[in-house]
Amino acid sequence: MSTRIDNLRSLIRVNRDVPAIPFIAAGFVLLVLGLIGVARVIFEGHEAVYGVTRQVPWGLLIATYAYFVITSTGLAFIGGLGHAFGFHQFAGLSKRIVLLAFIVLLAGFTQIGMELGHPFRLMYLLILSPHFSAPIVWMGIFYGIELAILGLELLVIFNPAGTNHKLAAILGFLALVVGVLATSNLGFVFGSLTARPFFHGIYFPTFLVVSGIAGGAALLLLVYNIVYKFNVPEQFKEAMNSLGKLMGLCISIMIFLSFWKVLSSLYTEPQEAYDAVITLLRGPLYANFWIGEVLMALVLPLALLIVSKAREIKTMGLAGLTFLIGMFFTRYDFIVAGQLPPMRAGNEGSGVETINGLMHYTPSSGEWMIFFLGLGLFLFLYFLSERFLILDADAH
Amino acid sequence: MEKKRYAIVLDTKKCLNCKACTVACKFENYVPVGDDTYRIWVTELPLQGKFPHLHQDFQPSQCQHCENTPCEKVCPTKATFKTPEGVVLVDYEKCILCKACMTACPYDARFVSEHHEAVEKCTFCMHRVSEGREPACVETCPVRVREFGDLNDPNSRVSRLLSSRPYMQLKPEKNTRPRLFYVL
Repeated sequence: MSTRIDNLRSLIRVNRDVPAIPFIAAGFVLLVLGLIGVARVIFEGHEAVYGVTRQVPWGLLIATYAYFVITSTGLAFIGGLGHAFGFHQFAGLSKRIVLLAFIVLLAGFTQIGMELGHPFRLMYLLILSPHFSAPIVWMGIFYGIELAILGLELLVIFNPAGTNHKLAAILGFLALVVGVLATSNLGFVFGSLTARPFFHGIYFPTFLVVSGIAGGAALLLLVYNIVYKFNVPEQFKEAMNSLGKLMGLCISIMIFLSFWKVLSSLYTEPQEAYDAVITLLRGPLYANFWIGEVLMALVLPLALLIVSKAREIKTMGLAGLTFLIGMFFTRYDFIVAGQLPPMRAGNEGSGVETINGLMHYTPSSGEWMIFFLGLGLFLFLYFLSERFLILDADAH
Repeated sequence: MEKKRYAIVLDTKKCLNCKACTVACKFENYVPVGDDTYRIWVTELPLQGKFPHLHQDFQPSQCQHCENTPCEKVCPTKATFKTPEGVVLVDYEKCILCKACMTACPYDARFVSEHHEAVEKCTFCMHRVSEGREPACVETCPVRVREFGDLNDPNSRVSRLLSSRPYMQLKPEKNTRPRLFYVL
């Protein structure tokens, strides 16, 4: 008994050096706001609280869901590289990687749970009446398995009796594979929509996977800078350098993919895809696109990474922060831009109201509150873990 | 006996834009009042010609009951399904309100119903058809813009109209193969 308690003690301590309290407090406040949002949805109904419409049915919550779950699978990808593919520099980060991936995925699930009108119905109908040709079924299956794998990894990594590295390697590999499947399938959830040509093709499945890996690297760079107060110890420098290089490579691929996506949507003006891209370039989403996507998610972080030569960890942390902010705009634009071209012209009698020939969508206060729920859950749970758990893994 | 293939054929040149069809649909199917809650609609197409020689057409429309059905394909719980007659319906008890069907539909024919707590749409008034009656929009139209019937019956009004008149379908480039036909 006393050995077991000693073993547990080997996992837990109060980390007074980690500046976790402000983040826990911020997370708590956001969680409370989020729970008020949940109460509003329960008592007033989705339709009354959310700003989505008949013509733009998916909005901020789907964007935030995508933001979280794709970042989580990106983290799992990096963890898999460390565990199963011999990138030993990441092995020392494994506890934080798995914990972050798990909590970020949970945060994503809050968004989809509050987005669906009948989330509990989904759970039993996925078993009783699954439609296997529908990509959303596979989204549920893959992300459900991913959560289970990450949960198992947590148990293995935080085993008081010591980590079974072989089992951790197998689980890390599985998390990488299932994560890539889940995220690329998420691209197909949108790509399978007949009405929305902007989402069609190989671009989004590829872009989501690559940007997710960049997001995972960005979050790790930022978190390590915060935890160590922008003075990351020597032992993590090799890992941080590798994360910076990985992030830079992924951003470069994202620039390449984005350039050709935009160009192929402009050339010869393929109707709805063209209209969707125009909403980004000079339409209602232009500020999001140029400032959020291009500047904050692509140009600025890549420039910072180049300037830092993947060595100055503070600068890389800043690159991680700008990327994570920019990536949120990228996810939002991706979801919304594809839905702004109307399916029917906004003529009298049609029931469709357009502005300059496009649909319009603005997130409601209720949607922002649910967004706070996800962000708050992440901040609260993760920094609570930082405060009380020993998260510096032994390299193996 | 060959199974039925239900369809609606519209002769929009007859349409007066009286909107009796939209009202009949709302009453028949208990469609809630609201700007976004409607199963059928009548679009006023842009004016053609120059004053004083002006002309305007109206285009009544609804769910196209596509043979290649985008909404049914993306529904994760089989809430959206097709009857043997090709009518696309929603099992409200299975709908999880993920709204994938709404984003997949190229005709914007679906909406969230707070009454059913599910996504709903035109059903070709199957509850009436099973009693040998026509859909409410077809029956109520004072000038019979719409004809409803079985494409597999060569003597049905829809078959006769389609064999005698040229026709078009909405958004043929989507390859959805609608069961709504607009005679020209």
